[in-house]
Amino acid sequence: MSEGIGARVLRKEDKRFLIGKGRYTDDIIEQNQAYAAFVRSPHAHAIVKSIDASAAEAMDGVVAVLNGAGLTGDGIGNIICGWGVTSKDGSPMNMGAWSALATDKVRYVGDAVAIVIADSIDQARLAAEAVEVDYEALPVVVQSDAALEDGAPQIHENAPNNLIFDWEIGEEDATDTALAGAAYTTEMDIVNNRLSPNAMEPRAAIATFNEADDHYTLYTTSQNPHVARLVLSAFYNVAPEHKLRVIAPDVGGGFGSKIYIYPEEIACLWASMKTNRSVKWTSDRTEAFLTDAHGRDHITHAKIGFDKDHKIVGLKVDTKANLGAYMSLFSSATPTYLYATLLSGQYNIANIHCNVKAVYTNTVPVDAYRGAGRPEASYVMERMMETAAREMGVSPTELRRKNFVQEFPHQTPVIMAYDSGDFAANQDQAMKAADYADFEARRTEAASRGKLRGIGFSNYIEACGIAPSAAVGSLGAGVGLWESAEVRVNPVGTIEVLTGSHSHGQGHETTFAQIVAERFGLPTENIQIVHGDTDKVQFGMGTYGSRSGAVGMSAIVKAMDKVEAKVKKIGAHVLEASEDDIIIEDGAVKVKGTDKQMLWHEVGLAAYTAHNIPEGMEPGLKETSFYDPSNFTFPAGCYICEVEVDPETGTTEIVQFVASDDFGTIINPMIVEGQVHGGIAQGIGQALLEGVVYDDSGQLLSASYMDYTMPRADDLPSYSVHHQSTECPGNPLGMKGCGEAGAIGSPPAVINAITDAIGNNDLSMPATPAKVWAAIQAASAKQAAE
Amino acid sequence: MEMSGEYSIDAPIAEVWAALNDIEILKVCIPGCEELEQVSETEMTAKVALKIGPVKARFNGVVTFENITPPEGYSIVGEGQGGVAGFAKGGADVRLVEDGDKTVLTYQAKAQVGGKIAQLGSRLIKSTAAKLADKFFKNFRDALVAEVASA
Amino acid sequence: MTEVSMTVNGKPVKADVPDNTLLVQFIRENLRLTGTHVGCDTSQCGACVVHLNGKAVKSCATLAVAANGADVTTIEGLANGEMHPMQTAFKENHGLQCGFCTPGMIMTATDMVARYDANGKELTEAAIREELEGNICRCTGYHNIVKAIADGASKMASS
Ligand code: FES
Ligand code: FES
Repeated sequence: MSEGIGARVLRKEDKRFLIGKGRYTDDIIEQNQAYAAFVRSPHAHAIVKSIDASAAEAMDGVVAVLNGAGLTGDGIGNIICGWGVTSKDGSPMNMGAWSALATDKVRYVGDAVAIVIADSIDQARLAAEAVEVDYEALPVVVQSDAALEDGAPQIHENAPNNLIFDWEIGEEDATDTALAGAAYTTEMDIVNNRLSPNAMEPRAAIATFNEADDHYTLYTTSQNPHVARLVLSAFYNVAPEHKLRVIAPDVGGGFGSKIYIYPEEIACLWASMKTNRSVKWTSDRTEAFLTDAHGRDHITHAKIGFDKDHKIVGLKVDTKANLGAYMSLFSSATPTYLYATLLSGQYNIANIHCNVKAVYTNTVPVDAYRGAGRPEASYVMERMMETAAREMGVSPTELRRKNFVQEFPHQTPVIMAYDSGDFAANQDQAMKAADYADFEARRTEAASRGKLRGIGFSNYIEACGIAPSAAVGSLGAGVGLWESAEVRVNPVGTIEVLTGSHSHGQGHETTFAQIVAERFGLPTENIQIVHGDTDKVQFGMGTYGSRSGAVGMSAIVKAMDKVEAKVKKIGAHVLEASEDDIIIEDGAVKVKGTDKQMLWHEVGLAAYTAHNIPEGMEPGLKETSFYDPSNFTFPAGCYICEVEVDPETGTTEIVQFVASDDFGTIINPMIVEGQVHGGIAQGIGQALLEGVVYDDSGQLLSASYMDYTMPRADDLPSYSVHHQSTECPGNPLGMKGCGEAGAIGSPPAVINAITDAIGNNDLSMPATPAKVWAAIQAASAKQAAE
Repeated sequence: MEMSGEYSIDAPIAEVWAALNDIEILKVCIPGCEELEQVSETEMTAKVALKIGPVKARFNGVVTFENITPPEGYSIVGEGQGGVAGFAKGGADVRLVEDGDKTVLTYQAKAQVGGKIAQLGSRLIKSTAAKLADKFFKNFRDALVAEVASA
Repeated sequence: MTEVSMTVNGKPVKADVPDNTLLVQFIRENLRLTGTHVGCDTSQCGACVVHLNGKAVKSCATLAVAANGADVTTIEGLANGEMHPMQTAFKENHGLQCGFCTPGMIMTATDMVARYDANGKELTEAAIREELEGNICRCTGYHNIVKAIADGASKMASS
């Protein structure tokens, strides 16, 4: 079947994007539309003493200027974090109040203080400039370690010392004992740099209140419109769920940053009701840097111990996670259950202990960004493994191989139970593709040209298919993480699949159609995927955590099972055969071993005319499934990065990047490879180029593409992407998920390669030419001294 | 960020000190100054229009004189709000030393900016601030010398 | 307000706009051609690239009045009944994911190919990567965009 599972089907959604007919939120214009601009704090920490909007209100075209007092006065609730994490002493996390528009205090540069509504965007922006806010500046803290110190500025009253929670996982005593008895230990301080997600489409929202029906419609750049609606209604009291329709039309990338419900959507909905106008807001890039949730920002100390045979005996990790000024929707889960639970890596480790302190600072909230916790875990683990190998003088690949988990299922000491994998096979494949055997010759050749060549490995594992609802519920999640699908066979036999997953670049309209095509033997052009509209789709948890394959598509499979069962009944009835003899193939329902058949559209017609269906059967052919996964899935792989560093300038060139991934079943290899490419680019960006910079007073210095270095085409290599898969036993298609792997696996490979090249392991991300150059100088100074 | 400079002015210290306290002279010397008004012995309000990198801003601010020790110098402390462009605050210690019938003026200044100016102009701020400070003291020297010459 | 008139995708258009109206605003808001995107505020992402008198320009860094009398082509005007070879190449090589950077990429790519062609220079992979200096894509990691442009170049040559 040319369009089924495993086929490189070209994307059905491409045409509209290619001819300029994509429909993103900012492309939409509602009747009676007004424009919003936000008045934002230029201070990182200040008391809001007064707001004088009189001049702004008097300006041309201004409809209204609304502030936090009005918003809270109307009963709009505070923004919440939806995952409760408990400190090791049993106390709940200290969640500070976050109002969509600040009332008494601002806590980061960009914190919204007022919303201005005007007839045109220019008028709104001009008027926003005219709103006079009297601030009393307060002392500022931007780094997590500094925020924990005594005497640091206090950001939320209910979080003494800015500590949100002090959480642990694993057995501390056993880990300490194991490490004390270790033959070799390696200790490192590891910083995971703060990143800005930078989906190319800036966030946007258009809110419309319809007075006649007491009904709201919100177009927004969301990865999960149903979750947005749920939270907007249940927690923020903007509108009851049945009076709020959330539509996420074409969305230009998300990478996690469009999971969350931000102040702007809340304020626009409320302002629409207040002004009886449609209210549209589109972020500009500076606003995006200031207000989109950032990612990473961990400071970690880690220690790993090995026995005399180089088997790992224990791992102890201590991490401070900067969550910014407020707790964003999943912020608590990212540095805990999505991070520490993956610290076993691909290895058999009996003793692991991890302590995580989550901290408030005067910076924009930090939450999940492509990989979310797992890149931080794999960076810790894979930097440690490479470093330990160097310190013990053994091969980094052999050291890993010696410690690989080889039997499945494998229960780690940190919750996760790995269900499948063949880590050595991925390593073999990657080493072969990278021609590792010949590396030393390449290094020598590069040296003859005056270049330092190095190679670095990273054997990542991650947890995807997020997530079994009961399991995450027991860990504090406020929602279930199942997915839903409705498969609707029309009377003419064409099929609509309504899914709760959301595509913002992942190609669901193609991949999802392929599994339907495969099952019923239909062309993908007869299958339409519907998503992103709460009025159309039953419900859904959305797309993040590489869950749309393993969870979203599993729901489609389950719905298709029900459709198939009904089709077989109808077929058996009409064709006068036993149900057991009915098969579905090539778009027809056939009686095995005979030439009796109904064409697919005839079955549809039979179901809807209901002239001749089994007695007692309901007419129609439409089935729904809510699929709750039984476990996480565990994509894993081996990445190899080879670099050449110019010792004169410190410039790094990636000369080869090889990936071997185990994603389980792959539906569309073309799309999967594309996901890996994009992920690797973001990982290389983190390793070499990207970093959010706040100065000590909390000013964001990297707030444009002049100062935040996005990876561009000539910064990056072509990638050599391979697959070596084991089937996932946990879901019907055997899928593991591929959306984040590239961003998770690549940063340690890059840094391991550079440090190998320059002979100095002391190098932090982003490894800019200046840093690399300094590290080379330090290494040669040390050598000279010895 | 911190800046400093030294200027030799062709005028006696008493005249330089007087000029440093003459609001009309200060007004013409401050780059981009649109308004400068004395509100008390030691306090002035100012409106200054500036362009830093891609950001244009009009600052409304208050400037105060502190540690006044005639004719040796004073400290100026100021804070300005530039609307969405952000804010700027800073201060300068100005010292005068007699050098024959000339006067040597030295200053040490500190400045901090916030908001859009910091976000978009950060790479340019240091050089812009140094340039502005230099421009002010050069203007000041020229204005004073011109005044002395015409008097 | 100034009256601007120009030819956009072969059709004459005219409007009174404030003097500071950017070409991209004129295209998106006045003409409702929303295929041209805005991805930044510092003229660095290339989401807004259109052709002005046959050359690629960033329409966020061009005033509408500066395009007075000009011939403008946007992504909507590139296909001529059927998809332009470059559009086909992007599809066949999976050179797009979320699609937001895509119009700018394609307008840049067609201009790039035309320039190299006119100068008789070879559009190598390295040259493509360098030429994409002004276009940011966050989704694809550029691998397939580079492939698509090379393929589009040969498709354009043979069409
Ligand atoms: S919008 Fe024109 S370059 Fe970014
Ligand atoms: S395809 Fe999404 S930014 Fe390029």
